[in-house]
Amino acid sequence: MSAVGHASPSTTPAWTRIYGLGSIFAKTVRDSRRATIVSAALLALVFLGVSRAIVTEFDTPESRVELENIVNAVPPILQGLAGKIVNVGTLGGYLQYKYGVFFPLVLSLWSILALSGTLAGETQRGSLEFVAATGRSRRRVALEKLSGHVLMLGLAVLVAFVSIAIAGRSYAVLPGDEISVLSAFAYSVWLGLLALAAGSLAFALGPFVGRGASAGIAGFVTFAGFILNGYQAPVPDLAPFANLTWWGWTSNHVALAGQYDWPSVTLVAVVTVVLLAVGIEAFARRDIGVTTAIPAPSMPRLLLGLDGPIGRSISTSFGSAIAWGLGIGFFGLALGGSASGFMDQLANSPQFIELLESVFPGIDYASAGGFLQLLFVEFGVILAGLAAATFVAGWASDETSGRLEMVLAAPLSRRRWAVAGGTGMLVNVGVFVALTATGIGLGVATTGSDVGTPVLGSLVLGAYAAALIGVGLAVGGLIGTRFAAPVVVVFVTVTWFVQLLGPLLGLPEPVRQLALTSHYGQTMVGVWDAAGIVASAVLAIGGIAVGAWGFTRRDLLR
Amino acid sequence: MNTVIQTEKLTKSYGSHRGIIEVDLEIREGEAFGFLGPNGAGKTTMIRTLLDHIRPTSGRATIFGIDTTVDPVAIHRRLGYLPGEFTLYDKLTGGQTLDYFANLRGGVDRQYQADLVTRLDVDPSRKFREYSKGNKQKIGLIVALHHRPDLLLLDEPTSGLDPLVQQEFYSVIREAKAEGRTVFLSSHILSEVERTCDRVAIIRDGRLARVDRVEGLRDLAHHQVELVFSGPVPASAFEALPGVSEVVTQDHTLRMRVSGSIAPLVQAAARYDLADFISREPSLEETFLAEYGRAAAEVAGS
Repeated sequence: MSAVGHASPSTTPAWTRIYGLGSIFAKTVRDSRRATIVSAALLALVFLGVSRAIVTEFDTPESRVELENIVNAVPPILQGLAGKIVNVGTLGGYLQYKYGVFFPLVLSLWSILALSGTLAGETQRGSLEFVAATGRSRRRVALEKLSGHVLMLGLAVLVAFVSIAIAGRSYAVLPGDEISVLSAFAYSVWLGLLALAAGSLAFALGPFVGRGASAGIAGFVTFAGFILNGYQAPVPDLAPFANLTWWGWTSNHVALAGQYDWPSVTLVAVVTVVLLAVGIEAFARRDIGVTTAIPAPSMPRLLLGLDGPIGRSISTSFGSAIAWGLGIGFFGLALGGSASGFMDQLANSPQFIELLESVFPGIDYASAGGFLQLLFVEFGVILAGLAAATFVAGWASDETSGRLEMVLAAPLSRRRWAVAGGTGMLVNVGVFVALTATGIGLGVATTGSDVGTPVLGSLVLGAYAAALIGVGLAVGGLIGTRFAAPVVVVFVTVTWFVQLLGPLLGLPEPVRQLALTSHYGQTMVGVWDAAGIVASAVLAIGGIAVGAWGFTRRDLLR
Repeated sequence: MNTVIQTEKLTKSYGSHRGIIEVDLEIREGEAFGFLGPNGAGKTTMIRTLLDHIRPTSGRATIFGIDTTVDPVAIHRRLGYLPGEFTLYDKLTGGQTLDYFANLRGGVDRQYQADLVTRLDVDPSRKFREYSKGNKQKIGLIVALHHRPDLLLLDEPTSGLDPLVQQEFYSVIREAKAEGRTVFLSSHILSEVERTCDRVAIIRDGRLARVDRVEGLRDLAHHQVELVFSGPVPASAFEALPGVSEVVTQDHTLRMRVSGSIAPLVQAAARYDLADFISREPSLEETFLAEYGRAAAEVAGS
C-alpha cells in the first residue's frame, strides 16, 4: 500500500481546540484571556466592593432618605452622565444610577478593540493570508474568531451577573435592597449587548475601511451616543441624535432598579446580530486586505516633519492631536453652550447651591466655569489621558515597528531621539489643548458668562496629559516602548477609579491622594492647586529625562 | 590598509538564548566581507552589536578605531545600514522617506540618490505602505547607500529583490568597493557572497566556524553524484580520483561527494557502461551541516 494519500489522524488534543493553539476559536480565546480577567476582576470588585460600601455608608432608612434628597436635588443638567434616577434609595437603584452606565462603556472599548482587530488587524499584519490558506472557509474563520470573543465577553458578563446576584442577596440591609436574580440578569444582558453592539459595528465596518477607521467610527458612535443620551433630558434638542444609538434605545431599561424594557434590549440584540452577519459576509465576499480609504486631506509637506526628529515626532501624532482636540473641544463646546440652562436650573435649586457651598466654600458654581468644573473636568481629564496614551503609542511605534533600527543608524544619539520624541508629544498636547480651549471658549461665549477663566482652566487637561507623556517616556526608556502606552492607560484608569471609588471603598486618605487628578484644584472656576501643576511638570520633564537616560542604557528591541 | 571593523571575543547572549560567542574579526578598509550562516546563526545579532543597537555581554568591537559602545554616533556618521527586517513610515511616500533620512544625516548626494532611485527602479511617489516587499527593500537600500558611506552594513540585502534588481545591486556594491568603501554583508546565499565579497566568515550557533578568502569557499562547494551502471563497477576506480570522497556502493549504483572539477569523474565513468548520471548541488544549509559537524544521520535525513 502506498503511503501517499494517507492522512495521519488528528493528534490535536480536544482541550486545545477550546483554549490554546488547536483552532482559530481557541487562539482567540487564548488571546483574550488577559482582557477577560481584567474586565471580570473590575466588574466583580466594583459590584461586590461598592455594594458593600453603599450599604455600610447608608445603613439606616434616614440616611437613604438623605441620599435620595441629595440625588434629587442635583439639577437634571448635572445628572447627565449618571444613570436614570429610579429607586436611588435602594442598593440596586443607587448602583445603577451612580455606576451602572459606565461599565457598558468600558466593555464597549474592549469589544471595539477586539472586533476591529480580530480580522482587520490580522489582515493589516498579513497573518490572515496564512490563516485564510489553511483550508477553512472565510465564513468559518470569521465565525470562529467572533465566537471566541463572544465567549470571553460572555464570561466577563457572567462574572458581573454572579457578583451582582451575590451582592444583592448578601448585602441587603434595608427593605428594597435585595437585587433579584432577574434584575442581575437583565442588567448583565444589557451590559453585554451594549458592549457587543459597539464591537459589532467595528466588525461590520472592518472589511470595508480597515482596522483604524472601523475602531474610530465605532468608538465615536459609542462615546457620542453615551454623551448625547446623558444630556437628552436636560437638552431636548439632542434627543433626535441621542436616540440613534443603543444608548438612547435602552434608556428606560434601568434593570438594577427593577425597571425593564425588554423590547429595546431585543432591538439591540437584533441590530448586533445583523451587524455581525454583515461583518462575516463582507469578510467572506470581499478581497482580503482591500479597503476603502476614508477621504482625508493630505498633510502639507511642511507638517510632515521631514527636517528632523522633533518635526517627525510632532507629525507622527499630529493627526491624533487634531482629532482629540476636535473631539474634546466639541464636548467642551456642547457643555459650555448648555451652561446657561444649568445656571437657570441652579437658580431654582437653592438646596443644591447650599450643598455645593458646604462642600466647596467660597467658590461660585453658578457660572459656566462652575458647570464645566462639575461636569467637564472629570471626564475631560480621562480623555486627555487617553489622548496622551495615543501619542505615546505613536512615539513607541518607532521602536515596536522596527524603523528605529534605521533611524538610529543615522548620526542621531538615542538621547536626542528620546528627548525629541517627548518634545514632539508635548507640542501635540499643546495642539489638542488649544483646540479644546477654543471649543470651551466658543461654547461659554454663547452664554455671556466669563470666558477667560474656564478657557484657562482647560489647561489642566494639558498638565495631566503632559505628566502622562513623561510617565510613558520613562517607562518606554527604562523598560521598553511596547509597555509605554499600556502603562499610561493603566495609570489613567487607576487614577480615575481611585478618585471615583476611593471615598466609597474607604480607601485610606494617603492612597486617595496618590491620584494626580485630585491635586489640580477647581481650575474651571479659577482655583488652581500648585501641587498638581508642579507634580505634572516634574513628571513631564523628569519622565522625559529618565526615559532618555534609560534608553541610552538598554538594547533596542526588535 | 586600515582596519575598519575589529572585534575581540565579542559576545552577546540573551539570557538562555544564544546570540554570538567570542567572535574575533578584523575587516580592512576597502574590503567586501561576507558573513554567511544559516537562519538563527547570529548574523543579525553581530550586525546590531556593531551598531550599538544592542550591547555586548562581553568582549568589544571597534569601528574606524572607535569603541562601538563609546561613541556610536560618530560611527553612524560614516556608515550605511540596511536591517534584515524593517518597516518605515506608512504615511510617507518613498521619496519623503528618503528626504527624511537625508535630512537626518546631512551631506547626501542628491544626484546619487536620484541615480539609485532610477537604477533600482522604484517609484518614489507611492506611500511606503503601498509598496511590495521588494520595493520596500529598495527604499531601505537607498537609505543605506545614498550618502556614500565609508562602511556599508547590509543584513541580507537582496531579500525580496527580483533577479534583475539583484544584478543592479551587485553592481552598486562593486562600485562602492571600487571607490574604496568597505562592505559588510550578511547572507545565507552562497552565490551572493561569492559574487560580491573578497573574504567570508561562516558563523554557526553563534561561533565563527571559519574565516577565509572567498576562494576558500570553493572547497565547500561540492556535488552529490550518483552513477548508475549496467553492471558491477569497482569503487576503487573512483575513490582515488581528485576531489572524490565518501564513495558508497549499492548494487550497480555508486554515490559519492565531489569537490572541485567534475571532469575527472566524468572521464572515469565513461570507461564503463553508464546507465544514468545524477548530480545535485546541495543547499548551503546541507553544506554547512555536512562541513561543520552536525550528525551525518541528520544531514542524510534532511
